[in-house]
Amino acid sequence: MSDEKIIQITNLTRIYVDGVEIRALDGVELDIEKGEFLAIVGPSGSGKSTLLNLIGILDTPTSGTILLKGIDVTKMSDKERSRIRNQELGFIFQYHHLLPDFNALENVMMPLLINGMKTSKAREKAREMLEEVGLGDRLYHRSNQLSGGQNQRVAVARALVNNPSIVIGDEPTGNLDSKSSDNIYELLRKLNREHNQTFILVTHDERMAAKTDRIIRLVDGKVVEDSRKV
Amino acid sequence: MISVYELFIAWRHLTSRRRQTLLSVLAIGLAVMTLMVSQALMVGFTQELYAKTVDKMPHITVKPNPDEDHIHLFSDLAGKIRSIDGVTGVSPVLSGQATFRYKDKSKNVIMQGILIKDHDSVLHINEDITEGSLRDLDATRNGVVLGDKLAERLDVKMGDSIDASFPEANPTTLKVVGIFDTGTPEDERLSYTSLTTAQDFFDVSSVVNLIMVRAEDPDMAQTISHKIDDLGYQAASWEETNPEILQTIRIESLSNDIILGLVIVIASFGIVSTLFMVVMEKTKEIGMLMAMGVSRRSIMTIFIMESGFMGFIGAVIGVAAGILISSVSGPYTFEVGQEFYAVVSTIPFVVRAQDATVIILFTFLLNLIAGVYPARRASKLDPVEAMHVE
Ligand SMILES: Nc1ncnc2c1ncn2[C@@H]1O[C@H](COP(=O)(O)OP(=O)(O)OP(=O)(O)O)[C@@H](O)[C@H]1O
Ligand SMILES: [Mg+2]
Repeated sequence: MSDEKIIQITNLTRIYVDGVEIRALDGVELDIEKGEFLAIVGPSGSGKSTLLNLIGILDTPTSGTILLKGIDVTKMSDKERSRIRNQELGFIFQYHHLLPDFNALENVMMPLLINGMKTSKAREKAREMLEEVGLGDRLYHRSNQLSGGQNQRVAVARALVNNPSIVIGDEPTGNLDSKSSDNIYELLRKLNREHNQTFILVTHDERMAAKTDRIIRLVDGKVVEDSRKV
Repeated sequence: MISVYELFIAWRHLTSRRRQTLLSVLAIGLAVMTLMVSQALMVGFTQELYAKTVDKMPHITVKPNPDEDHIHLFSDLAGKIRSIDGVTGVSPVLSGQATFRYKDKSKNVIMQGILIKDHDSVLHINEDITEGSLRDLDATRNGVVLGDKLAERLDVKMGDSIDASFPEANPTTLKVVGIFDTGTPEDERLSYTSLTTAQDFFDVSSVVNLIMVRAEDPDMAQTISHKIDDLGYQAASWEETNPEILQTIRIESLSNDIILGLVIVIASFGIVSTLFMVVMEKTKEIGMLMAMGVSRRSIMTIFIMESGFMGFIGAVIGVAAGILISSVSGPYTFEVGQEFYAVVSTIPFVVRAQDATVIILFTFLLNLIAGVYPARRASKLDPVEAMHVE
């Protein structure tokens, strides 16, 4: 693990104004290093998803900055944000967020095609990625023809296929039984070791959180605990 | 530029909800088909109207200058006009009124002294001869060719001799050497003689009082007419002398275009609503695509393309169906009704490649534009909220 800071978050605040003002995040300070495998935990409504969406540049903070590889992503144009989401970030969500009109292979190809790769090459790479997550025999199945665990594996393959530097997951195993959940966790851990990518996972599952290298606990939009394994 | 993945996503959206897509495409197709068939009829009507009217009249008429009764040195002028681009025939004519008398019947007529070849090059009168021949105007001394209705009124037959007279004219006897039938009201009052016969009758020499001109393309008549004006003569195109023809065509095609344009606009609204449904159904997917790095601009492109695809395919199907219908249906025949239309009683379907192209392009463009609104809606979605939609 290197000491290179891949994400630097300063005084990050996100206020939702929805009739009443909700401080979903309140002055969060956080540095994340390259190759870290960390968990964000905390009670429901504490701001975990909000933080993750901001890191994933899917949302814009009310104030504060997020530096991604030293570049402030909060002030970028939509085109630049899209490019970074495509090339530097991989998303895994709780509920299988696969494109329903496309089969597993096509879903995994999509980030590559968006990045401008030729179809034939993208197909080859997507196939390899699906084999790596153990779905070499389910290439042409659609989301509704796959189990929850299999769906989540496709989502993992899709998040990782562009070789992003940061992978974020919002309760990636949230709707899986403990066995499938363990499998996905092992898979992510393996990929983290092999590719030295940074993994940021939101989870309710303390058992799973305990297996990560670093735990960040949020309460009411503030970081109340930041513990690293030694 | 359009990327492969944008095309891929747009195409898949359409093919995976086949029934809705098909319905929208068919709605467009039906509208376009109606437009195509109606356009074919419109073109056929115009062509038929031209054939029955404009084709049978001089496209341009040159008159003497206001202070003169005749055109002198007409051969000279005819030569100059003949050398204007787009002129295919020039005919000097001496035209005047005469009273024809045969036995107890008499009638006021228009008598035109012509040079046969020249006049045929302008009005194709040889085609209308039903009895006798034009050539006999030159071969026979004082020969005359009459419209069939006029011959009927006077009750004359081929070979009969008619007394022609008029105040200030030299009375003479004319021998009927031919009958023509143009199918126009002219058949009731028009007669042709040779130019010299007419000059003798009207007591003039070496002059005419009209020069009739035929243009290769009737739509060029106005331009040619201006060029003749520039030579210092008084020319008028058929559009000026018979404005009602053009008016009829303009009014017909304008109302036709407006109604049918509206039909296509309505069909395109169908596409807009289909597209809004797609955007609503795909909200979650749009969020995912944004998370994968699809820019808002690309999202917009994808949905506009979907609209464009449906419009284009609908237009092609519609045009094909329209051509098919136009070619299997015979000419459209209707009861002879109002005065003006009496000339035209059957309308052929005329399919022109240019109409098909314009209709397809028009529909395609219209649908691209129609797609902008729902596409904007899609591109403005918030990715976080979109992904939360179930
Ligand atoms: N779009 C929104 N509009 C208004 N308030 C919001 C919105 N999204 C989140 N919030 C509020 O912000 C706070 C943090 O929400 P967030 O989703 O980040 O919590 P969380 O820690 O992910 O919770 P959970 O564990 O239940 O997923 C909550 O109080 C929530 O109600
Ligand atoms: Mg959450």
